[in-house]
Amino acid sequence: MADSYDGDSEPTTRTLLRRVLDTADTRTPRRRRSARVGYERALSESASNHTDYGSGLSRIHGNVEEQTPRTLLKNILLTAPESSIMRPESVVKPVPTPQVVQSSRRDSSRGSLELQLPELEPSTTLALGLLAPGRRKQRLRLSVFQQGVDQGLPLSQEPRGNASASSLTSSLNLTFATPLQPQSVQRPGLARRPPTHRAVDVGAFLQDLRDTSLALASPGDSLRTPVATLPTDTVLEDTQPFSQPLVGRSPSGYHSLPCLSHTEVEDAERAISHRTQSSGPRLQNHSEYMGHVAQRSVRTEKSKRHREMSEAVEAKEPEGSSGDEDISGRTGKGPSVGMRDLSSEPLEPLPTRLPPRARTPGPRPRQDPHKTGLSHYVKLFSFSAKMPMEKKALEMVEKCLDKYFQHLCDDLEVFAAHAGRKTVKPEDLELLMRRQGLVNDQVSLHVLVERYLPLEYRQLLIPCAFSGNSVFPAQ
Amino acid sequence: MAFSTTVSQRKHIKRKAPRGFLKRVFKRQKPHLRLETRGDLLVHLNCLLFVHRLAEETRMNAFENKCGVIKKEHVQAAAKVILKKSRG
Repeated sequence: MADSYDGDSEPTTRTLLRRVLDTADTRTPRRRRSARVGYERALSESASNHTDYGSGLSRIHGNVEEQTPRTLLKNILLTAPESSIMRPESVVKPVPTPQVVQSSRRDSSRGSLELQLPELEPSTTLALGLLAPGRRKQRLRLSVFQQGVDQGLPLSQEPRGNASASSLTSSLNLTFATPLQPQSVQRPGLARRPPTHRAVDVGAFLQDLRDTSLALASPGDSLRTPVATLPTDTVLEDTQPFSQPLVGRSPSGYHSLPCLSHTEVEDAERAISHRTQSSGPRLQNHSEYMGHVAQRSVRTEKSKRHREMSEAVEAKEPEGSSGDEDISGRTGKGPSVGMRDLSSEPLEPLPTRLPPRARTPGPRPRQDPHKTGLSHYVKLFSFSAKMPMEKKALEMVEKCLDKYFQHLCDDLEVFAAHAGRKTVKPEDLELLMRRQGLVNDQVSLHVLVERYLPLEYRQLLIPCAFSGNSVFPAQ
Repeated sequence: MAFSTTVSQRKHIKRKAPRGFLKRVFKRQKPHLRLETRGDLLVHLNCLLFVHRLAEETRMNAFENKCGVIKKEHVQAAAKVILKKSRG
């Protein structure tokens, strides 16, 4: 390999490389050689212009047919990054040692791939060497390559050139992509998620709705994926066992469908609801839900098209329980289909939550908020007691608190009336506490406030002087 | 003003005053009266003190009975005393 000698050598890259080859034979470690070669090559490249490099390309390709190390070297030169001066470590380049050359050739062709995944092939240090500088010098290479192309180099024609050109082009193609990909590859967490093409889905759903009004919605699984496979296909292919009742209702469905096209979102939601509701495994759940939703939907009045849509929707439902359909159809008057769909949407991922939602929330017992408010003080009691308590004891505490509040309000009323007011003021409270024995001459109200209340409340209660001759709270 | 002083105990005791609850209770009891803004904070303070005293009395009752657990009777006896005290 060292013997290969070209007559048309110019005192530039090739000679340098050859020199390196000759001298590098003795050394086994690739790195050293590559370092040397890279270094010399860097020197040569720095010395030579880009055009010179381009001309070098032409020269190189003249010898492409020869499978000599030199040609391989040239390929490497082409594919490998140009100036390694910037990065000393990049000097570690796949120097074409006899064995290395071939592998480097492979790597050069493969370099494109490796450019994408530099770290994924640690086995080949050459690849690494190629990659490290390659990533940074792709722009340069592109310009150079473009120059070379402009010069009319038949790069793509020759087989060797193919390899190099393909690698070049592939690498070039990758120039813009590689800066992004390696990051994602190295740090998968930084990789961007594919955008959810919601808009596309809506449009597709509209199309589906119009095209296949009769066809029952495709299984909801297809819809589950946000980047859904085209629903049209699934809808067309869908063969619902209960498609018969839909036939009769199809005209209504058709009528309603165009009306619905106004609100794409609603349509999408409906589609989703259709599809999810029609899915086999969810039939029962959704049938139940349909009935309940219908009941709920009765309350809200909506436009007529919604009604029609609801009918059509319900008609479409492949419910085994037609009773639900009837119910929903009857009560479908002015149903908020959108509401249903909206509500169905969150239901989709959690069919198990249906039962709680199905329950019509009746009027909450009046005691509930009262109990919750009292529970705050009950917790305080149990905390202050520092002892385990029985449930009955806690209930007793609640009763005590109720009585206490009654007494409190009565007393405050008396005090306010005594002062001729109808509003209970803090003075009344202070008087109450004084009468209770909490506040006396030794212990003032402010002391108690400071002791028991948190800072924010203290600020509100105790007047404090601030800058600017202002007192807050104002007295 | 949501604040929570870190309490190093098993139960996280909120220091917030249920002002809405207090206002509602007062309104329900005396709809013809009005409660001032800062008044409900003082009401809360009063409740705190009441609960403190009640708990203390209950604990003493439980100790007297040599019980490790607070029972309903302890609470009842304590409530009688404290409510009488709090009548004002």
